[in-house]
Amino acid sequence: MSIRKARTRRLARGASFGLAAVMALGLVSCASDPGDAGVSSELSGEITMLTPIYEGSAGQQLLEEELLPQFYAQYPDITVSVDYTNFARLNEKLTTGVVSGLVPDVMMMGVGWVEAFAERGVLANLTDGGLSVQSLEDTMTPQIVDAGIWDDDVYGIPIMLDARFGVARMDLLREAGYNAPPQTWDELVEMAEALTVRGTDGSLKRTGFDMLTIEPRQMFETALFSAGGDLFTEDNTAPAFNSKAGVTALTQIVDLFHTSDVEDIGFSAPNATVNPLINGRAAMAIAHNNVWTQTELANPDILPDLEPFLIPGDDPSMFVGGTIATVSASSKRPAAAQALAEFLASPGPALAANQQRGNVPALTELLDSDYAQDNRLVQFAMENLEVAKREGGPGKWLGLRGEVAPAIQEAILQNKTPKVALNDLAEVFQKKLDR
Amino acid sequence: MTQLDNRATEVVAVAGRQPRKPPVRRGRNKGRMGLIMVAPAVLHIGLWTAIPVLATLALSFTDYDIFDLPAWIGIENYVEIFSDPVFRQATWNTLVYTFWTVPASMAIAMIIAVALNQNLKLRTWFRTAFFLPQVTATVAIAMVWLWIYNPQQGLLNAALSIVGIPGQAWLADPAWSLPAVILVGAWQGIGIKMLIYIAALQNVDESLYEAASVDGASTIRKFFAITVPMLKPATFFVLIISIIGAFQVFDQIYVLTDGGPANATTMMTYEVYRSAFQNFEMGMASAQSVVLFVLLLAMTLIGRRVTKGDDE
Repeated sequence: MSIRKARTRRLARGASFGLAAVMALGLVSCASDPGDAGVSSELSGEITMLTPIYEGSAGQQLLEEELLPQFYAQYPDITVSVDYTNFARLNEKLTTGVVSGLVPDVMMMGVGWVEAFAERGVLANLTDGGLSVQSLEDTMTPQIVDAGIWDDDVYGIPIMLDARFGVARMDLLREAGYNAPPQTWDELVEMAEALTVRGTDGSLKRTGFDMLTIEPRQMFETALFSAGGDLFTEDNTAPAFNSKAGVTALTQIVDLFHTSDVEDIGFSAPNATVNPLINGRAAMAIAHNNVWTQTELANPDILPDLEPFLIPGDDPSMFVGGTIATVSASSKRPAAAQALAEFLASPGPALAANQQRGNVPALTELLDSDYAQDNRLVQFAMENLEVAKREGGPGKWLGLRGEVAPAIQEAILQNKTPKVALNDLAEVFQKKLDR
Repeated sequence: MTQLDNRATEVVAVAGRQPRKPPVRRGRNKGRMGLIMVAPAVLHIGLWTAIPVLATLALSFTDYDIFDLPAWIGIENYVEIFSDPVFRQATWNTLVYTFWTVPASMAIAMIIAVALNQNLKLRTWFRTAFFLPQVTATVAIAMVWLWIYNPQQGLLNAALSIVGIPGQAWLADPAWSLPAVILVGAWQGIGIKMLIYIAALQNVDESLYEAASVDGASTIRKFFAITVPMLKPATFFVLIISIIGAFQVFDQIYVLTDGGPANATTMMTYEVYRSAFQNFEMGMASAQSVVLFVLLLAMTLIGRRVTKGDDE
C-alpha cells in the first residue's frame, strides 16, 4: 500500500471521527428534553420575561421601580430579568427564542397569538397550575378571556384590552354644523368631505376622516367588522374577508381617499409622532383608545371634545386587541413564572399598566376605578364590548397577519381593485392554511 | 560562495552526529504539522461557514416552521418563490437598488477620493466627514432620514417649498419611496469606497503624472488615462463588495419603510427576514437565501468579467 493511500485513509478516518463527533453532539443536544431536567416547583430562582408593554422609559420605570419591588416583597426568592420589545418586533424575539431553545419564562402576547404558540406546545397549560376558564370569566371581561384559551384550557391571563373605533373632534364638527358623530356610512362620507380642508394650492391641511394613523391591517379590520364581515370562516379553515362585506368595506375606504379626497397618501402614518386628532389635522379618525391618554399629555383642553363612535355599517362593531401574560412550557421554574404572570394581571399592577398605556383593564373590578371612569374612550370601549370583534383564529394567524397590510395598501394606492386585492390575499391565506 | 561552503560543512557535521531519518518519515511529520496548523482555520470555516451553508441548502427543501421538525417537500419552496409576485418584486427592487447605488456611489467616491488625495487644507477633516456615515449605525442614520423625508415637518419638503416645488410623501408614495431609499443607500456607501480609492491612489506612481504633464496632458486626460486605469484593481474590489453590500441591504428598509408601501421597497433580504421571523417559514427563508446567493455569485462573475478581474 502506498504512503499516499495510507495517509488518505487516515485522513478519511479522522474526518469520519470528527463528523461523527459533531453529529453525536448534535444528537445528544436534540435528545435531551429541556422540559424534564431540573424543573423546579419552588417559588424561587431567576426567571426571564419578554414584554412588549412597559416599553419606553415610563413603562420601564413603572415595571422596575413600582411593580417588580411589590412582586419581590411577595416572593423574595424570585428574581426577574426583563427583555423589553414592542408588538412590531415581538414575533422575531419569540422566533429566535423558540429556535435557540431559550424561550423566556414569561411572555406577554397579543390577541391572536396564544393559539399559534399553544397549539405548538410552546406555552404552558395554566389550568395545570390551578387556573380555570371559569375563574377567569368570573373576574374578567369574557371577550378577552377567550383570547387566552386554547382547546378549553387556559394558556394566557389577560391584562388589558385595546380597542379601535371612530373618534370625532366635536369642536370641529360643531364649527361645520354637525352636533353628533355620523350614524351611517353616507353621513360619514358627507361629514368627512365637509370637514376636509385644503390650501389654495390643493395641499391637505385637515383631513375629514383620518385612516392612516393606525396600522393598515387594523384599520381594515375595524371597517370589515363594522360592515358585518369576518376574517375567517367559523371553523377557521378558510379566509372570509373577501366576502361581499369585506369588498364593500375596502371599497368605501378607497373611495374616501380617491373619490371624496378626504385624505392624501402620506398625510399621516402609524408611527406619527402626534396623532392628527390632537393637533387638529384630523376632524375624525379610526383611532386607538389610547389617543385619550396622548391627548391628556399633549393638549388636555380638547379632551371634552373627543367623542367616540362606532364605524357605521351593516353591523357597527369595534376592533379589540389586548395583552395576555403567558408562561413557557419549557420553563425550569413554572411555578415562579406563573406567579409573576398572575401578579402582573392582578388588580394593582394591571391598573398601573393600563393607566400607563391608556388601555382598557381586563379585570371587571377595575372598570369602576377612577382611571376608567375618567377616561371617555375607555368607558366607550367597555360599553361596547358586546359588539367587539378580535383578530386571529387559526393557529397559523401569526404567519398570515403580515400579509394583510401590503394588500390593503395595494388597494388604497389603486394598484389593484379592492376585490382583486382581497381575492389575491385570500389565495395566499388559503395556500398557507392548507400547508 | 564562502557562505554556501560553510553551510555545507555544518550540514555534514550535523549529519555525522545524528542518525539519518528516512526522508519519507520527515515528509510525513511535516504533513502532519501542516494539518495541525490549518486545523483551526478548517474547523472555523467548517463550523461557522460550511455547516450553516449546507444546513441552509438542506432546509431550503423542507417545510420548517420552527415548532415542528422540518418536513421534506422537494423543490416546492423554489417553485413557490418563482411564482410569488412579491419575491419577484423584491428581486426587481434589489436589482434596481444595486443598479443605482453601486455605479453612482462608486463614481462619486472616486471623484471625492481624487479630490481628497490632493494637498487640500482640512483634508483629514473632509475625509472623516465623508467616512462618518459608514461608521454610524444605519438605524441612527435612517432615523435622521425619516425626519428629512417627513412630508409635514421634513427638511426636504421645507427646502423644496422655498423654491416653490410642492413637497412629496417621499416614503409613503410608491413612485418616490424606492428612489428615496436608493438615495440613502448611495449616500451611506460613499465613505468606504472613498477610503479604498484613497488607499489605492497612494500607490499610483507620481512619475506617471509628471511624465503626462511634460507631454502636456490636461487634468481630465490624466484622470482618464492614468488614474482610472491604475485604480482598476481597486475598482474591481469596490465593485464586488458594493454589489454584495447592495444585495444585502436590510437595515434601512427595516427602519425607513418596512418594505412598503405595498411592497414598493421590499428587497430580497427583507423577504428572507419576513419569511423567517414574521411568517415562521424557515424553509422558505432558506430557499430565498439560496436564490440570493446564486444571484450574488452570478453578479460577482459578471463584475469580474466586466472589469476583467484584478489579476492584471
